[in-house]
Amino acid sequence: MEVFSYEALINKNYFELKHKIIIFFTIGIFLYLIDIGLNSESKDIYISDQEILSLVSAWKSQVGREPTDDEISRIINNLVDEEILYREALLLGLDNEDRIIKRRLAQKISFLKQESISISPSNTEILNFYNKNKDKYFVNPSYSFTHYYFSSENNSEDRSKVAMQQIKNNIEVNSDSFFLGKNFAAEDILNIDSNFGNNFSSNFLDAPLNKWIGPYRSSFGHHILFITDFQPGFYLDIEDVLNQVEVDLLQIKRDKAVQDFLNKIRLEYEVIINPNLKI
Amino acid sequence: MDIKSILKKALIAAPIIYLTIALLAYVDVNNSRPILTIFKNIQTDSALEIVDFSEDKPEVNKPKPTPNNDRNPYYGDLHVHTKHSFDAYVFGVTASPDDAYRYAKGEGILHPLGYEMKLREPLDFYSVTDHGFYMGMIQAFSDPTSDIGKKEFTKPFHNLNRKENLTPESAGERSNIFSSILGATIIQLYPDWHPKLLKAWFTRNIQVALKSFDYDVHKSAWADVARSANEHNDPGHFTTFIGYEFTTSTDVEGGNLHRNVIFNSSTASIRPWTRIDSLNPEDLWTWQDALRDKGVDTVSIPHNSNGSNGQMFEMETFKANAINRGYSEKRMRNEPLVEITQVKGTSDTHPLLSPDDEWADFEIMDVRVGSRPPTYSKPSGGYVREAYLNGLTLDFTNQGNPYKFGLIGSTDTHTGAGAFEESNYWSKVGLLDGDPENRGSIPLTEENVETMNEYMQAFNQPVSTIELDQGTYANTGFTQWGASGLAVAWAEENTRDSIFKAFKRKETFATSGPRIAVRFFGGYNLSSIDLNSDSLVSEAYKKGVTMGADLMNDDNKTPEFIVWAQKDKNGAPLQRVQIVKGWMDSLSGRPYEKVYDVACSDGLEVDPLTNRCPDNGARVNISDCSIPQNIGSSELKTVWQDPEFNSKDKSFYYVRVLENPTCRWSTWDAINRGFEAREDLHETIQERAWSSPIWYVPQKTGVEVIPLGGSIQLRSAD
Repeated sequence: MEVFSYEALINKNYFELKHKIIIFFTIGIFLYLIDIGLNSESKDIYISDQEILSLVSAWKSQVGREPTDDEISRIINNLVDEEILYREALLLGLDNEDRIIKRRLAQKISFLKQESISISPSNTEILNFYNKNKDKYFVNPSYSFTHYYFSSENNSEDRSKVAMQQIKNNIEVNSDSFFLGKNFAAEDILNIDSNFGNNFSSNFLDAPLNKWIGPYRSSFGHHILFITDFQPGFYLDIEDVLNQVEVDLLQIKRDKAVQDFLNKIRLEYEVIINPNLKI
Repeated sequence: MDIKSILKKALIAAPIIYLTIALLAYVDVNNSRPILTIFKNIQTDSALEIVDFSEDKPEVNKPKPTPNNDRNPYYGDLHVHTKHSFDAYVFGVTASPDDAYRYAKGEGILHPLGYEMKLREPLDFYSVTDHGFYMGMIQAFSDPTSDIGKKEFTKPFHNLNRKENLTPESAGERSNIFSSILGATIIQLYPDWHPKLLKAWFTRNIQVALKSFDYDVHKSAWADVARSANEHNDPGHFTTFIGYEFTTSTDVEGGNLHRNVIFNSSTASIRPWTRIDSLNPEDLWTWQDALRDKGVDTVSIPHNSNGSNGQMFEMETFKANAINRGYSEKRMRNEPLVEITQVKGTSDTHPLLSPDDEWADFEIMDVRVGSRPPTYSKPSGGYVREAYLNGLTLDFTNQGNPYKFGLIGSTDTHTGAGAFEESNYWSKVGLLDGDPENRGSIPLTEENVETMNEYMQAFNQPVSTIELDQGTYANTGFTQWGASGLAVAWAEENTRDSIFKAFKRKETFATSGPRIAVRFFGGYNLSSIDLNSDSLVSEAYKKGVTMGADLMNDDNKTPEFIVWAQKDKNGAPLQRVQIVKGWMDSLSGRPYEKVYDVACSDGLEVDPLTNRCPDNGARVNISDCSIPQNIGSSELKTVWQDPEFNSKDKSFYYVRVLENPTCRWSTWDAINRGFEAREDLHETIQERAWSSPIWYVPQKTGVEVIPLGGSIQLRSAD
């Protein structure tokens, strides 16, 4: 009966392990040598005809004549020098931690992610997008009105106050002529702001119809308003703006693709920042 | 054979040879080429094929403002490039025509450098005008999967504008591609035996014979421009025009003769007429005339005359013939407007041409467009005011007036988005001038000085940095560019038709960026109108003529003018309104010009001796660009009578409105980033507006003027 020898077992395993390490080590060296053999930086520099021709043509357009043979060889030598320096820099790892290179690579992957968006979204997608972003397809309220204008060139504040009293007392008002005219029909609130400035359309909200109101200040003086008509704002039907919605949706999806990718992958990263850093 | 028979044969042959030569000479001299004309009949003209690009859009039930008989000022930009332009694409621009129109309607779009460009207020009209020449081709070159992108010569363009390649550092290489490779790439023709040469000849379409050209790509880019314009056109609210730039030049000295062609319809030719068809603008007008015969109306608008080396408004034709009436009429039929201001400087007048005009030194760009290295552009022949005077001279010598054009401004942006505000400026060529260091308004960091010098050496460009006490700056010419300008049309409503009609009757004005507005009327009984009356404008339309029109002599009465200017509600107050007068002295035959101040801010009076307003005292605080809000006027209005009127002199009058001084973009750039304004640039600017002129036409004299030299054909050239 063989006595179980713990020691022997250990010795035996030890021996086998040592053996395996040597095998692994040998294979490793072998692979390493193959790797070096296959991947060692080639010292060949290929320069395409196109590259040389374009540099020569740049030279020609600058100097206005054909370069001599000497000059051509100088142009090519400069190119060769640049290529050598570039490769040596790569060997030294100078591309690591270079912000410009980082930024380019980051842009490259964002671009790939944006490209991955499929071309046409489904109808439900479009409908959902439309419902969520209805405000983009809103037609602003518009007003028809007339006004008395008092130029800021001529004491508009006081004169407009006096005029308001005169209107109430049915006395004829002596106002100025406004550059863009007296009567406005179906002007939407953006146009009103554009024509009068100073957030002028806010005076129209909830204003009574067919009644003189004011005076209100614009970028050009004071105005007394008489609003005759009001069209409330409304949402455009989706059928009317289908193309527009689709284009808007695609744009947003492209931007979102990069963000989604970032959000997904961000979880795998742990960001470590010195909490005591003073800026 | 004896000598006699040889002599005999020679005697018979001589008159035959003589007659043949004489006939050929006659044909050549008269340029009628009968034999070629026979062959011409079997050609078709591809540039005259009309395509309907209109979109099937559902009618949207939006309220539409009612048309205004007194007309409204509509603000727009008629000069915008997107990625379809051969140069914009090289500058890193990826904005499409759709992006450009979205920007004009008020949405933000991205600059190639990644920041947002957005208008403070939407525009009323916009036209994407990509270079017709090679439209869409560079984008195709840059795509290695496209048919043409597989060809060897497209290699430098591959993936040019993938996002990872959009960096300020690529600016040097990009300008190299623009200035040299492009030129070398695109001029190779197919060999003579190639069927494409025949196709080119039979369809009058030279470009299809170029190896580097793909007609299908070209047509689809143009179709995209047209489709986008039609899709964004929104009658009553926002107007678009199909358009493109005819980028031609003189074949000597690189004199820029660029023009924008604007269509008044949703139909257009199947392809743009380009410099490959012909360099001669007269051929463009012939094409426009032919289109008009087919029911498609266009106007072409010259721009950057300031950088034309004096070639834009010459006293002779492109082929150096004398200008005749036929030429003048043809030019005016097709070119009613000129772009007086844009990013690359203003072409009102030059200090050397108008030494008595204190405001002549305004945003002067003194080099030829696109010249490398930068080359001086001769002022004479390149500025609007002198052209008006030369037009009077040509008219005087019975050659017609080819320079009776109205004025607009535009930007010529190449990013799809015009920069109109000094305080919110990105210049125009994308990566090349998209940040303050590259455009020379703040000092370069040491690192960038080196980069700049290296690039310029590598690409054989002149030294493009300048040493000042304040530091080293980029000196790439962008400092002479600026945040300008706007095209404004007086129209009944915001529709294509209404605004296009305003272009045709020249009822337009230009601004250097702000939304200044100006009315201008001329007549003989205008002082009878009450300036404070609400019916001022409608009465003035009835009793007089407005900007862009002729005022005919009326019994030798002295004309009166009504001027009314309103400030930009977000801009600086107005400082003064001027009338610029030019005339041809009927006795001496000499042209003269004079600038009159006609209305002053703050209730100040014009000095009748100097014709100048007193200083209103408004100054800019250069440390933070603030301006006084209580000096200057929100509007200026007056009736003016010419104090030196002579009823026999052919004359023109146009209005110039001046704002109080404000900071120039270069100053804003500097102070926003903690620097002082660069010492060798103007720190401030006086933004302005220019109206189209009113021409005074005297009575016909009994004197018959015989054109100088006597060799001018008075009949039309065709």
